[in-house]
Order: sequence, then C-alpha cells, then structure tokens
Amino acid sequence: MALAPEATAGPVPAATPRRAPLSRRLAPYVGFSPAVVLFGGFFLAPLVLIVLYSFWEVINYNVVHHWTLDNYHYFFSTPTYVSTLWDTVWVAALTTALTLLAAFPLAYWLARYVRPAARRPLLVLIIVPFWTSYLLRVTSWTTILGEKGVLNRFLELIGVIHQPLSFLLYDRPAVILVLIYLYFPFAALTLYASLERFDWMQMRAAMDLGAPPRTAITRILLPQIRPGITVAVIFVFIPVLGEYLTPQLVGGTRGVMIGNLIVNFFQGAEYTRGAAISLLIAAMIVAMLVAFRKQLNMADTHGR
Amino acid sequence: MSINGPVTRRQALRAGALGMTGLYVAACGSSSTTQSGASSAASNGSGSASASNSPVTLNWETWNDHYLPAQVTAVKQATGIAARPSLESDDSDGYLKVKQTGGQYDIVSTDALWAPKYFKDGLTEPFDVESLAVSSQLYSVAKQVPFWKAGGGYLVYPNGWSSVNIYYNPKYVSPAPTSWHVLTEPKYAGKVVAENQPTDLMAMAGLATGAKEPYNMTTAEISKAQEFLKAAKPAFLKLVSQNSDSVRALADGSAWMALENLGTDFRVKAAGGPVVKEATPKEGVVGWIDGEQMVKASAHKNRFEQFLNSMEQANWVAQNFLVNGRPLFNEKAYKILVNQGHKERADLLWYNQPERALQLTLKGPSGNVQGVIDAFNQVFGA
Repeated sequence: MALAPEATAGPVPAATPRRAPLSRRLAPYVGFSPAVVLFGGFFLAPLVLIVLYSFWEVINYNVVHHWTLDNYHYFFSTPTYVSTLWDTVWVAALTTALTLLAAFPLAYWLARYVRPAARRPLLVLIIVPFWTSYLLRVTSWTTILGEKGVLNRFLELIGVIHQPLSFLLYDRPAVILVLIYLYFPFAALTLYASLERFDWMQMRAAMDLGAPPRTAITRILLPQIRPGITVAVIFVFIPVLGEYLTPQLVGGTRGVMIGNLIVNFFQGAEYTRGAAISLLIAAMIVAMLVAFRKQLNMADTHGR
Repeated sequence: MSINGPVTRRQALRAGALGMTGLYVAACGSSSTTQSGASSAASNGSGSASASNSPVTLNWETWNDHYLPAQVTAVKQATGIAARPSLESDDSDGYLKVKQTGGQYDIVSTDALWAPKYFKDGLTEPFDVESLAVSSQLYSVAKQVPFWKAGGGYLVYPNGWSSVNIYYNPKYVSPAPTSWHVLTEPKYAGKVVAENQPTDLMAMAGLATGAKEPYNMTTAEISKAQEFLKAAKPAFLKLVSQNSDSVRALADGSAWMALENLGTDFRVKAAGGPVVKEATPKEGVVGWIDGEQMVKASAHKNRFEQFLNSMEQANWVAQNFLVNGRPLFNEKAYKILVNQGHKERADLLWYNQPERALQLTLKGPSGNVQGVIDAFNQVFGA
C-alpha cells in the first residue's frame, strides 16, 4: 500500500511563483497605447526620418539614399552658418535672461503680496495674450515700433525726437523685444508656481537673524526655487532657439536666426541640409537638458 | 465594449483595432470618388463629351491668385466638381508634393519651365488644349508656347503671367532706376523690400551679373551673383513672405523700392499709399507664366477638362484681374474689362501684350539648387 505522499516526503519546497498571463501584465499599460501611437507615429518616426535625411543628399530635387557626412561638414566649414548659430544662441540666452528678469518681480509680487482671491484674475491677465494668434501678436509690434508706429509718434509728440527712429524695427533688438513679450507668460507662470510653494516664514526668519533682504533672497529664496527657475529657462530658451517667424516679421535682414536659414533650405527642397542643421540644434537642446537635469533635483537644494 | 476587471488580450486588441480603424477613416477625409456616368478608362483627359455633374472633389495644388472663392462655389454648382485648393509656396514645393503623394493631387499649377520637368518625370500628362471649349477665349500665343508642347499634346492650360520689376517711390528715388545695380547705391540702404524667394533673388542677381540662364546658373555664375547680392544686402529693409507686406511697406513709406510683380502700383494706391512707378532694369527682368497641369496619377482625369471649361470662363478671369492685378491669358476677359471701363489699367499692365511674357527670363528648375540656396544663405545669414 502506497503511503500518502505527505507521509514520506521531506519538507515541501516553496512553490515557484507562476508568471501572470501576458494580458494581465500588459493591462496596466493599455492606457498608454494612444500616447504610444501618437508619440511613435508622429514624433519618433519623423525624427528617425530627419536623422536619415541628414546623412543623405539631394540631387535634382530627389533625395538620394547615398550616405554622406557632407551636410554636417558643409555646415561647420561655412562661417555664415556657424556665426548665425552662435548669434542665435546668444539671442536665445539674452532673451531668456531678460525675460526672467522681467517675470521674476511680477511673480514675486503675485506670490508674496497679492491676496489669494485677487491672484486669479491677475493670472488670467497674464494668459490673455494666448487667446490671440501668434502671428497677430508679432505683427502688432510693427504698428508699435515702425517709423510711423505708436512709439515713434509719441516720442515726436513729446519732442524727444524730430525724425522717426528707424532702428526700432527690422533689427535684432526688435526681435529680442518681441520674443520677450511672447515668452513672458511662460516664465511668469513657472516662477509664480515655484514662489507660491515657498515658505515665506524662512525669509522672515533670515531677516530676523540679521540678513538684509538681498541676502535673504539670494541665499534663502533663490536656491529653493531653483527648479522653477530652471524650468522657466527651459520653457523660454528652447523655443527661442528654433524661432524663425518673429525674426522674419520684425528682424529684417539684420535679425536673421538659424531657423530662417533652415526654412530657406526646406523651401528650396534641400531637405538633407535642413535636416542636418535641425538635428544639430536638437542635439544642443538635448545637451542642455542633460546639463540642467541636476538642477531639477530638489534633493541637491536641501543637501539630502 | 465595457471592461470589468483586468483587460484581456482580446479586449486590448479589439480596442486597438477599433481605434486604428477610426483613425484611418478620419485620415481618409471626405473625398468622394463617385464615378457614375463617367468612364474611368478615359485616362487621356478627353472626357468632355461624357462630362457628368456627378459630385467629385479635385485636389488642386495651386496659388491663391488662381481662383476666387465665389468662382469655386459657382463651378461646383454648375458641374458638381468641388475644387479643394491647397497652396504651394513655390514651384519646387508643388513639384515635390505631387512627386511624393502620387494621385493625391488631381491638378497642379506650375510656372513656365517647370512644366517640362513635371512631364519628363512622369508626373503630368499632356492634353489637347484645343479640344477645350474655353481655350477659344485664350490669346493664340498662349497656346503656342514651345516648351509647353510635348507628348503630342500641351502640358499646361495657360493662366497668367507677370514680371518682377522694380517699383519705386519717385519722391525719394531719383533718377528712375535703370539697372539692378541701383540696389548697391548707399543712399537706398534699408529702403528696399523683396519677397523671400531665394531662387528668384539669386536669379535677379544673375541678371545683374550677366548670367546666361539666371535660373540655371553655373557655379561661377552663382558666385558672381552671390557677390552682387552681398553688395546689395544693405539696401534690403526686409524680405517678406507675402507680397501684401511689400505693398504695405511702400504704402506706409518704410520702403522706397520693392521688387514685385506687375500691378503693385495699383495695389499701393488702393492701400492708400503714394504714387509709385514701375521701372524695368536694362539687364532684363525675371518673370513667370503659369497654368494648370493634369496630374498623371489622378483618379479624376476625366473631369479635368470639364473643370477647366467651367473655371476658366472669361467673366471669372476678368474678376480675377481686378482682384489680383496681373495680366492673364484670357483674351475674352480683356474685352470684358475694356467694356467695363478698365482698359487703361489693363493696358498699363500689358494685358493685351501676352507676347511680352515669352521675352522674360522665365522661372524654371535649377540644375544646382543647392548651390543657389547655399549662396543665398551665406549672404543673408548673420
């Protein structure tokens, strides 16, 4: 007579955990499928195409699948492209700095001194420009800065000038001014979001301990809102780097940015050249994001 | 489909299939392809005898001065053909779109020497222009353009033409310009506007520097043209994307000169601007003659002629002239304009001199477009 297995077997080994069926493992990710389709189909796929194009060439309006580094070589060997890219970078950097300088006082005032009930309508006012089309917002500056624009007429009226100032428009300063205007809301809202979460008692404590206001701001406030500042920089710098419409509308021939040259390539069906320069800008942006990545880590701020 | 508990593989696949089907249907658009009554085998486009009024949509790659919205509506009501214009920025843009999309477009507008390229690359088909009833309204010279004859037929139904001249404000510009080299004069620094068309600007520079074929320059000619453009760069206030910006600049006085199509003087006047005059440089001017081509891969070639017979009627062409202000090849429309009291304007714009069009340096594909764009970018880059 056979004994029951449990009477003769040793200790029962732990049961090997069985893998859940595939459908159950994939179930949590079903919700991502639309994003995967969108991201994969309308971002990754075109990006891969651009990468491939940048290593091919155009002959007689046809993209020929001949692998070459000529597009990149040509860019770096042509001083105009390098200087235009460099000018674009410093325009973006200057625009970002001035935008943050303009946005910070507003965000500080909103977060620190404005009653919560009054903040909402003021925030709406910051967003209102987005209710108008981008093109209209840029074009409106020609009626402000032009020789017969509002600004010139006002300066003539009060006797500051006797001839209209022609340099206000169709030059680089006009491009920077309009870009600051366009991206101001991004910076203001981002900085406000950071400042709103700040514990203002810390500032008071610092001043109670003898720190002047400037020291309290630089040593207590700014380090703690550094992620917000970083995000604001990213939100302004990156899109400005790729701007082409604003320079075209208000920059004249002296406010050209790298985006304008890329447009000329695509307009002339020189896709491979345009793709190569576009990728170089994208690579710059990725490098910048990697460099800024640490700035977004709050643990560094508190030394934990 | 309701989901209770974990999603099964079958449910996930079904949801995905439904989603993709919906995306596909949405992407297909609303182009209807009813072909009842019209033979789909009439691939040579000579289906005028069997034209029906069954609804169809023709995708038309063109420019905005080739049609009026009311005209498109009227054609649809008369023929059942709904034209869906899609704007091309330049000839190369239109060419590449047709090349890459096959039969997505039914009709494509083009300039001058681009038509032979379309045909050579198998993108368009010739047709018998004389068989179109509306073609009897055209100037005969428009039906005899030598480079538009190919494959035993005609490549383009002629629309209009223009040259790019120097328009100047005589109050500030004196003497009247006689050469493209006026652009290098320091006294006009920052007072010129032009459209941001790299190939056209380089072609004008080629004219100024003696290039044999400004739209198909050699490397040496491109280099000379580039040097000229570099010398002329200080003259340019801005390069505009629309000719209406040139008109505005002349009208408000911020520009004293513009390199623009015929009729700009009238448009500046209509915009409340000063009197501006037209100057033709002694080196010659670039220009274009354009028209409509039948796309070879189109599924509606049998409706091409019916569409044109309705679209290109003289009354609409005359209205087009009054709106866009450049000469067209429809002779009957000229007579309508004369009867309506617009003879002076039409004659000032050389409407009744279509032979002038063939004397222009006409637009065409470049043998070295990369060199042209590179040269242009090197001039206008920072």
